[in-house]
Amino acid sequence: MIPPRFHGVALAAGSAAGAVALAILGLWCAGFAPLAVITTWCAGAFGNGTRIALSLQEAGPLLLTGLATALAFRCGVLNVGGEGQFLAGAALFTAAALVLPVVGFALPLALGLGAAAGAAWAAIAAGLARWRGVPVVLSTILLNIIAVAVLGALVEGPLRDPATTAPQSALVADVFHLPVLVAGTRLHLGIVLAFVLAGVVWLVHERTSLGFEAKVIGLNPAAALRVGMPVAARQMQLLVASGAIAGLAGAAQVAGVTHFLSAATTSYGYAGIVVALLGRLHPVGIAAAALFMGLLDTGGRACEKQLGVPHELGDVVKGVMVLGVLIAAAWAARRSAAAHQGPADG
Amino acid sequence: MLPVVALTGIRKAFAATLALDDVSLALAPGVVHGVLGENGAGKSTLMHILFGLIQPDAGRIQVDGRPVVLASPAVARGLGIGLVHQHFCLSPSLTVLENLALAVGEGFGLVRRRDLLAQVAPAAAALGWEMPWDAPAGSLSVGGQQRLEILKALAGGGKVLILDEPTAVLAPQEAAELLRALRRLAATGMAVVFISHKLAEIESVCDEVTILRRGRLVHHGPLADLDRARLATLMVGPAAHPAIPPDPRPAGAQADIRLRFTGVSLTCEGQRLSDASFTVRAGEIVGVAGVDGNGQGALVDAALGLAAPTSGTVARSGNLGDRALAVIPGDRRREGLVTALSVRDNLLLKDRRRRPYARWGWLAPALWRRKAVRLIRRFDVRPADAGLPVAALSGGNQQKVVVARELDPRPRLVVAVNPTRGLDLAASAAVMDRLRAARAAGAGVLLVHSDLDELLEISDRILVCAAGRVSDSGWPATTRERIGRLMLDAASAIPTAVRPATVRPAAKPGDGAP
Amino acid sequence: MAELVSGVAQSALTAAVPLLLAGTGELVAERAGVLNIGLEGLILAGCIGGFAGAVLGGTAGGLWLGVGGAVVAGMLVAGIFAVAVVYARVDQIVAGMAVNLLAFGAAGTIWHALQDAGRDSLPSGAGFDRIALGGPIVFDQYGLGWLALALVAVTGWMLAKTRAGLVLRALGEAPEACAVAGIDVLRWRFAAVLACGALAGLAGAYLSIMRTHSFAPDMSGGLGFLVLALVIFGRWRIGGLVVGCLGFGLIDAVQQQLQGAGAAGAVSYRLFQALPYLAALFALAVFRGRGNGPAQLGRPWPEER
Repeated sequence: MIPPRFHGVALAAGSAAGAVALAILGLWCAGFAPLAVITTWCAGAFGNGTRIALSLQEAGPLLLTGLATALAFRCGVLNVGGEGQFLAGAALFTAAALVLPVVGFALPLALGLGAAAGAAWAAIAAGLARWRGVPVVLSTILLNIIAVAVLGALVEGPLRDPATTAPQSALVADVFHLPVLVAGTRLHLGIVLAFVLAGVVWLVHERTSLGFEAKVIGLNPAAALRVGMPVAARQMQLLVASGAIAGLAGAAQVAGVTHFLSAATTSYGYAGIVVALLGRLHPVGIAAAALFMGLLDTGGRACEKQLGVPHELGDVVKGVMVLGVLIAAAWAARRSAAAHQGPADG
Repeated sequence: MLPVVALTGIRKAFAATLALDDVSLALAPGVVHGVLGENGAGKSTLMHILFGLIQPDAGRIQVDGRPVVLASPAVARGLGIGLVHQHFCLSPSLTVLENLALAVGEGFGLVRRRDLLAQVAPAAAALGWEMPWDAPAGSLSVGGQQRLEILKALAGGGKVLILDEPTAVLAPQEAAELLRALRRLAATGMAVVFISHKLAEIESVCDEVTILRRGRLVHHGPLADLDRARLATLMVGPAAHPAIPPDPRPAGAQADIRLRFTGVSLTCEGQRLSDASFTVRAGEIVGVAGVDGNGQGALVDAALGLAAPTSGTVARSGNLGDRALAVIPGDRRREGLVTALSVRDNLLLKDRRRRPYARWGWLAPALWRRKAVRLIRRFDVRPADAGLPVAALSGGNQQKVVVARELDPRPRLVVAVNPTRGLDLAASAAVMDRLRAARAAGAGVLLVHSDLDELLEISDRILVCAAGRVSDSGWPATTRERIGRLMLDAASAIPTAVRPATVRPAAKPGDGAP
Repeated sequence: MAELVSGVAQSALTAAVPLLLAGTGELVAERAGVLNIGLEGLILAGCIGGFAGAVLGGTAGGLWLGVGGAVVAGMLVAGIFAVAVVYARVDQIVAGMAVNLLAFGAAGTIWHALQDAGRDSLPSGAGFDRIALGGPIVFDQYGLGWLALALVAVTGWMLAKTRAGLVLRALGEAPEACAVAGIDVLRWRFAAVLACGALAGLAGAYLSIMRTHSFAPDMSGGLGFLVLALVIFGRWRIGGLVVGCLGFGLIDAVQQQLQGAGAAGAVSYRLFQALPYLAALFALAVFRGRGNGPAQLGRPWPEER
């Protein structure tokens, strides 16, 4: 038997394995040899140092957007606007990097501005929820779409690199690059910082009054209110903090990997929802889920290049994974509740 | 006379608990049959079996002498058995007629108003009820909604009508009117099952009675054979007969004011409270009586500071989260506890930012554990395991967790809403004792309670909430009937009960009725 | 001028049709108590299902296979969602987001396969174009457009006048009352979500095989989310929904006119495209009244004790 505290791990791992198996089965039916898919995927995901670095580099933004999503979800705020907040952070970071003077503290300043932009984008949703009663889940989704449009307008307008015809900004100066950790790769300092941040979030969750309040508010806001918790204010604060982390992810992605802004979106924000749910909203689980998703993406891209497997299949795997983990968790919760329940009153 | 429905040797177990053990019941046409028992005695389980909601583990069910399997409520209704739940099953935005169409209509096509009315109106007319057919069901009073429920249960051409604690939500006069309607129904040849734990109501309306105690049948037969004392003894058992000592301790007019409403008006979740003024002083329990939904919700939310009054002021000792203000909410699972978290976490919900349990925002788990263990012992929470999720506790023990957290050191003001709802006798008594202890320790207690009898037992003064208005009943210098009339809003002329003597409860010590 | 007005009216109605179809579906699901955030995914499934069906059907059967394929695809994805939220009682919002992702991936994969097989264009002359009725140009609409209006009318009548409508309305408010009346709450909710899938699928088919004659992996473009806002805006009533859909169709038509009229020189067309979403956010902020939604919206049944 699996000890109860590892039930969540078992659920997530089982769903992930099931989804991957389903994908391989589907590919087999479509005429791809399972062994070839698996070996290509493994080689692509962690076959050598470069590939491992690539997978880690993918995991970085996923970890941050996953943490951002979990921070809001845990206190009952359905912030599905990680995408828009990510883009806001990337855009303001790039704009700042293109206009700020090239001085020593410019990088942290620009990163901070990126986080602030994400926070501000989330604050719109927070304000609409607090004062106008607009459901956060809807406002953040609509703000995602608006963010994509604004991003497109920026890279075609004010931020456009005059030297190219493509809708993209100029490269940011070297001083705005996050330091590379392993020469020859783009494995940058931001990834280490992301894991450190995961540790910090874990500490806040488990050991502080704030983390305890967030948990109680997420589980039962009506009870939280009656023991004196400032429910609405706390939820809005955490929504804004969540936006800041997503914005930081966007800024770090430009600073560490792309070094310029383009209209092509990468959906790290949406993937963050998957990461958070697969990681069961727990920082350690989220780190593991981000790593797994990084491997999945990098390996998947190798499969696309070498075997012609459509990369969209990766999204199917993610969707199945999340549904699997949700269904399994609901089922497990009901089973344990049934084991605890006595007779009906009366 | 041949019984319409006969249950023989019914047995039902939930997990380790035997809810019903070899219980039999026979219902005859034209007879009002009382099923009497404490909370947890098995009354509801028995009725749910009769209505096909629960399947018995053993036993036989016969309808009109033929053995049947009541596999679902639909089967039961098809056989002419109707049930009126304690909690209404209505769709509030649908009209009265639409609710009836939902409940008794067939097929999924066009709803024909005239046909439907022809089907349901005669029953209402026979009972002398004027129903507002096109009003949303949610706009009806509690009594009106109950009538709709009864019409729903009758509309299938019923032979048996089961009412589960139907008077619990009604004011005394409404209850009396309901009891008369039940007699009228019986006179038409219906078999009526009336479930209650109130002796007086059973006495006033029933012909026969079945008494359950802890899942066992302890008595059945004609009511005429029993006097009230015997009924009470049968219901609660010889040893556990409740004897509550009189406790008249009026607070001095000089005692500190702990809660003061001055001309408070507000609307909160559809409930209105208008121009309410009253005070709660240290060392007194002020009861608030009223039929559910007459503004008590708004009153409580205003008292706690959860809703701001549109006019008037509320002054109170302490705010939510302070130790000075204790809150025992009406719905403990939804408002009082986080059932997924441990008993420990629930006991320390108010200490999350208080030294020494938290310093500079950091929690001190060892101290949390120690305090939890202490409270569990002092308030007798069972099982005594601080790490267990609250969801795993029984209702009574969950309530003890709330009471322990809220009343632990010395609150200055206690706001309690239906604190004994759904609890068995021992757990209810424990909660009431804690409230008395809080009063003795100098707290002011505002007790909003829909059980008038319990309220009469414990309160020093009683306010009545009716149609959003709060008035002082003058208790203890008044009668139960007068409070009942106030509950129905003295302004609207409500006829007094035909047989008022029969709806008076057993005279209890401390009842104070002349 | 009259021509311009009629032209704008025509494109407003054209733009309103997918909103009406998907909105009616969502309304049915929400009235039954299921909040379907996966609507966007259902529409996209309809887009690809309709496109694939139309390609397979060719000139002769493209219309029917296209429409049928869209309905089947929408119901299939809706079925997955419904199993998760109705029977497994998973959180509806989270499951909806997962369904969006799933549908996005599946649509992309199928599109990829169609392209690889060289079958990425629609057959011509299969009835995918506007039907000219004569008279003012506003009445020149796609075939599915008229079907959409009919479906909206029928749904409105069904909700208001029939017992099935009563059941649906009660499901979202007092499922217990339905259960006591012998109605299988879970099966009805499942069916309501499937109906939502079929209507969203039709909306998708309208987008791919009719309005654009093409497919793109991002072609639903947030329409499903816009519809969610419109259902709130319409206060869960069919009349309100129709008003909202027509209004947003008009915003879209004006936006297209402005784009075409060269205003794009100064402002990026992308900002114009964002206009309906901004307007939706604004509308939610301004018009949202509290307590109008079905009381049990988003809650599983039976509730955990």
